[in-house]
Amino acid sequence: MRTLAAWLIRAQFRSRRAATLLSMLAIALGVALGYSIHLINDAALADFSRAMKTVQGEPDAVIAARDSAGSVPLPLVDEIAGDPAVLVAAAVIETRVRIDDLRTPVRLIGIDLFTAAAMMPGLLPRDAERAATGGILAGALYASPALLAEIGLQAGATLTLLRGDQRWSATIGGDLPAAGADDLLLVADIAWVQEHFGPAGAVSEVRVRLAPESDPAGWRAGVAARLPPALLLRVAQDDSERASNLSRAYRVNLNVLALVALLTGAFLVFATQLTAVAQRSTHFALLGVLGLPPRMRLLLVLLEGLAIGLPGALLGLVLGYALALAFTQLLGGDLGGGYFSGKVPLIVPQLLPASGFLLLGCAASLTGAAYPAYLNLRQPLVEALNNGFTARPQAVRSRRRQLLLPASLALLAGGLLQLPPLSGLPLAAYAAIALVLLIGVAGAPLLTQEIFGRAARLRLPATQRIALQNVAQAPLMAQVAASGLIVSFALTASMVIMVSSFRVAVDHWLDHVLPAPLYLRGKASPLPQELLTALERADAPFLRVERSAYASLTLDPRRPAVALLVRELDRRDPAARLPFTGAVLVPPPEMPVVWISEAMQEIYRIVPGQSLRLPLLGGDVEVFVGGVWRDYARQFGALVISRDDYQRLGGDFRPSDLALWPRPGEEAAAGEWLAPHAAAHALEVAESAGIRRLSLSIFDKSFAVTYALEAAAMVIGVFGLAVTLTASVWLRARELATLAALGFDQRMLRHALMLEGALIASVGLLIGLACGIAIGAILTHVVNPQAFHWRMPLHLPWLALLGGAVATLAAAVLASRQAAREATRLPLAQVLASSQ
Amino acid sequence: MLTATGLAKRHREASRALFTDLAFTVAAGEIVALVGESGIGKSTLLNCIAGLDTPDGGAIAIGSPAVDIVRLGEAARAALRARSIGFVFQAFHVLPTLTVAQNIGVPLLLAGVPAAEHASRTQALLTGVGLPGFGDRWPASLSGGELQRVAIARALVHRPRLILADEPTGNLDPRTAGQVLTLLLERVREQRASALIVTHSRHVAESCDRILTLTPQGLE
Ligand SMILES: Nc1ncnc2c1ncn2[C@@H]1O[C@H](COP(=O)(O)OP(=O)(O)O)[C@@H](O)[C@H]1O
Ligand SMILES: [Mg+2]
Repeated sequence: MRTLAAWLIRAQFRSRRAATLLSMLAIALGVALGYSIHLINDAALADFSRAMKTVQGEPDAVIAARDSAGSVPLPLVDEIAGDPAVLVAAAVIETRVRIDDLRTPVRLIGIDLFTAAAMMPGLLPRDAERAATGGILAGALYASPALLAEIGLQAGATLTLLRGDQRWSATIGGDLPAAGADDLLLVADIAWVQEHFGPAGAVSEVRVRLAPESDPAGWRAGVAARLPPALLLRVAQDDSERASNLSRAYRVNLNVLALVALLTGAFLVFATQLTAVAQRSTHFALLGVLGLPPRMRLLLVLLEGLAIGLPGALLGLVLGYALALAFTQLLGGDLGGGYFSGKVPLIVPQLLPASGFLLLGCAASLTGAAYPAYLNLRQPLVEALNNGFTARPQAVRSRRRQLLLPASLALLAGGLLQLPPLSGLPLAAYAAIALVLLIGVAGAPLLTQEIFGRAARLRLPATQRIALQNVAQAPLMAQVAASGLIVSFALTASMVIMVSSFRVAVDHWLDHVLPAPLYLRGKASPLPQELLTALERADAPFLRVERSAYASLTLDPRRPAVALLVRELDRRDPAARLPFTGAVLVPPPEMPVVWISEAMQEIYRIVPGQSLRLPLLGGDVEVFVGGVWRDYARQFGALVISRDDYQRLGGDFRPSDLALWPRPGEEAAAGEWLAPHAAAHALEVAESAGIRRLSLSIFDKSFAVTYALEAAAMVIGVFGLAVTLTASVWLRARELATLAALGFDQRMLRHALMLEGALIASVGLLIGLACGIAIGAILTHVVNPQAFHWRMPLHLPWLALLGGAVATLAAAVLASRQAAREATRLPLAQVLASSQ
Repeated sequence: MLTATGLAKRHREASRALFTDLAFTVAAGEIVALVGESGIGKSTLLNCIAGLDTPDGGAIAIGSPAVDIVRLGEAARAALRARSIGFVFQAFHVLPTLTVAQNIGVPLLLAGVPAAEHASRTQALLTGVGLPGFGDRWPASLSGGELQRVAIARALVHRPRLILADEPTGNLDPRTAGQVLTLLLERVREQRASALIVTHSRHVAESCDRILTLTPQGLE
């Protein structure tokens, strides 16, 4: 039996090389994309946790402030260190500082050498012999090898660190031998850091190693209960979970694109195998008559599917690995998503995930082969042996029963869309998308029969009438030919709709959030007082200056921190600056008010009008939620508080960003006025138009991958049509030969076939467009809010959609030319002479 | 070898029954011709015997010990065909994607004949049907008469005890038809198999051991 299968598969590959290769490639593409995304992300996460371990060691617990502006007071540090269950308590001060000509701030970590030796071996300094600084306790700085290379300095050189108005010049005493190759780090003694940059009488965090005989869980619970609300206790697990949460939605979206490719691959296998079964139905029937067991008739077709899927998937793994290497070299570990700072992570393929993706590719092609295999099993042997494939195995079905399937699928999809996300992912919505595609494919024969059956009854020239009749009477073939186009156009159209809706929304949003002509940014590090004072003088060429400061709040240690934006805006009229999505509520006069972003509303399930306790400024502050605003910049949530409220709560307002309105006519002077300040403090000045351009170009770049995939999907769809049409020509050889014998010349025959291709493509594109709009709406209104917490209105780019449809139609007509040419090459006399 | 009793068949959507109470036997080693007008039901009867169609009533016992193919399931019928029945069709039905030798080898694979015997058996039959050296050729390069000889070799290669042939010479010119038929009868006799041959040719029918005529009233 194995020999027979091998003979048949080899024969099949020999006679249908193009279609088989194409299906193989589509499967390979899907597997390659999925696998490369997996490899890259795995490497990036491993890189992230390694870097984390270097800086933090492997403590049993970390105690830190929830507010990035907060700190852990020294008495508490002493209390923890004195706890008998604690083996080591390492206090750490961590801050970001600027180095003269380095544009990005660098992490400065203040450690206590003796506790660090036990807890954070990755941070231990090594004195260079020639530096002779007297060591870390004498105030020397230690830089990671990567940083030394970046600034081009060696041990013994003096380095000036800046943070706002504070500065510290110190000698580089040596390096950090255990730091990772990419880590940009500075280490100094904690007391020296505290003296120059604060915080007074406090530290950033305490990292705890417990005694071997203690009960870590019990100890953590006890301490967590005693901690003031402004502090939190973290474990290492929270950190890795947070890192994975960070890029999860982005990853999922890319994975869905990979699935799209895999799905198109499955459809191609479907088209290939169905036409293959149809073409060889007499062969299979003969084998059945000769005694091939029915089970084997099913298995052979599945096996052929596998023979396409397995090499495809293997090729996909190799391709995926190559893609992963190429992408990380080009874009870094987050594919341009901007979630990880690591440089080029190391790609390490592992057996288990690789076999997982291999199976996925095989499963896709088996799924594609399943229905053809079933049809092959169900073919009545004698009928198939004498007449070949019957295009309508269940010919007479009532219209009502035909409508039943799509209708019930639509109901099911509607139900799925009502479900909430599963563990943060819009899985139900993805299932609904698959159902929409299924409805489109299942509905195709209905539409073709309805439209073309009716049209064929019109008085038309023979060529046209024949074409219409062919489509109407072989709905299954039409369905197969159209299904590839339905799926690929639906997915492409939906992506185009989603991306365009998103882009239009971002465009509007930028209008609202960039009211000033000029912006000055300190990159999350406070601006020098000297500049702020100069701005307040009368000779500064500015009509208006609005300042803002940033901090972050950790509300849940397993989630990325929420951004806290302190802004100079009117508490009674925040809508002048923030793009609110609903009503703005008037807060009670005695209560501080915050306005939360959509993401924060969805992640933490907060509603406007409620009050909220926030771990703000070392306390536990009750605030009023005054409204929800749209924020496409911070996916993990943001909240805005007015400067007045912040200061009333005792906050120290140290602005890091400025929005500037130059006096009319003095725009050039304003730029010149700012230039020396920006140069002196490594600040960034940007015009709103520039920021806008940059934001949109980043947006476009991050969706560039999708355009490539869309193009690939369309090519695959058109090829699928060509393959099926060509096969259908062979299937109808006798019919075509009869037409020729009756006086159809080659030109007429060719025109009839091209018309047929155009008709089928039109049906496919029409249904594809309808499905695409439905899926686009699901992506925009359900998937995006659930995965990214971003909402936006639906925008249909008709020009692009119709343009794409027309271009595809043209390609389809060209593709059917190929099939038509095949028809004119049929050995007509021979076909007529043979009895089958 | 083959005993049919009480066979009745009426196709779905057909206005009248093809036969209502058919009974006949084909003895071991006997070659029987089946004749009758077109559309009378000869092919249907052959299909019922091969288990490709199911009669509305009656039994068809094949081989010894006898098995009633009517009562078998789909898979068991296929297995019985693979082991005990050889087929020759009017339209040859030689697979164009397999070589001549592979085409002849298919029943050996299906019947589970040990691989070591395949080559010798195939060669012997190729010679037996007058096509020595044709093993590696593709069917597209063969004439009708040659194709039907390949089909005869395929029908006999696994040494079935019953050969069913449905108008095996209907697509051939009279001269070739005569040669092919002589060959078929010779090989069947050589293997001491039984055969039921549907034919319109008096000449063919007279070469057989016995003639059965199917009429609307039944067998004569
Ligand atoms: N699958 C079928 N369904 C309905 N009618 C059939 C089927 N097969 C054959 N028939 C009809 O049964 C009759 C006998 O056919 P057949 O057995 O092929 O006749 P013969 O081989 O004697 O020419 C014919 O009228 C034919 O139209
Ligand atoms: Mg017949």
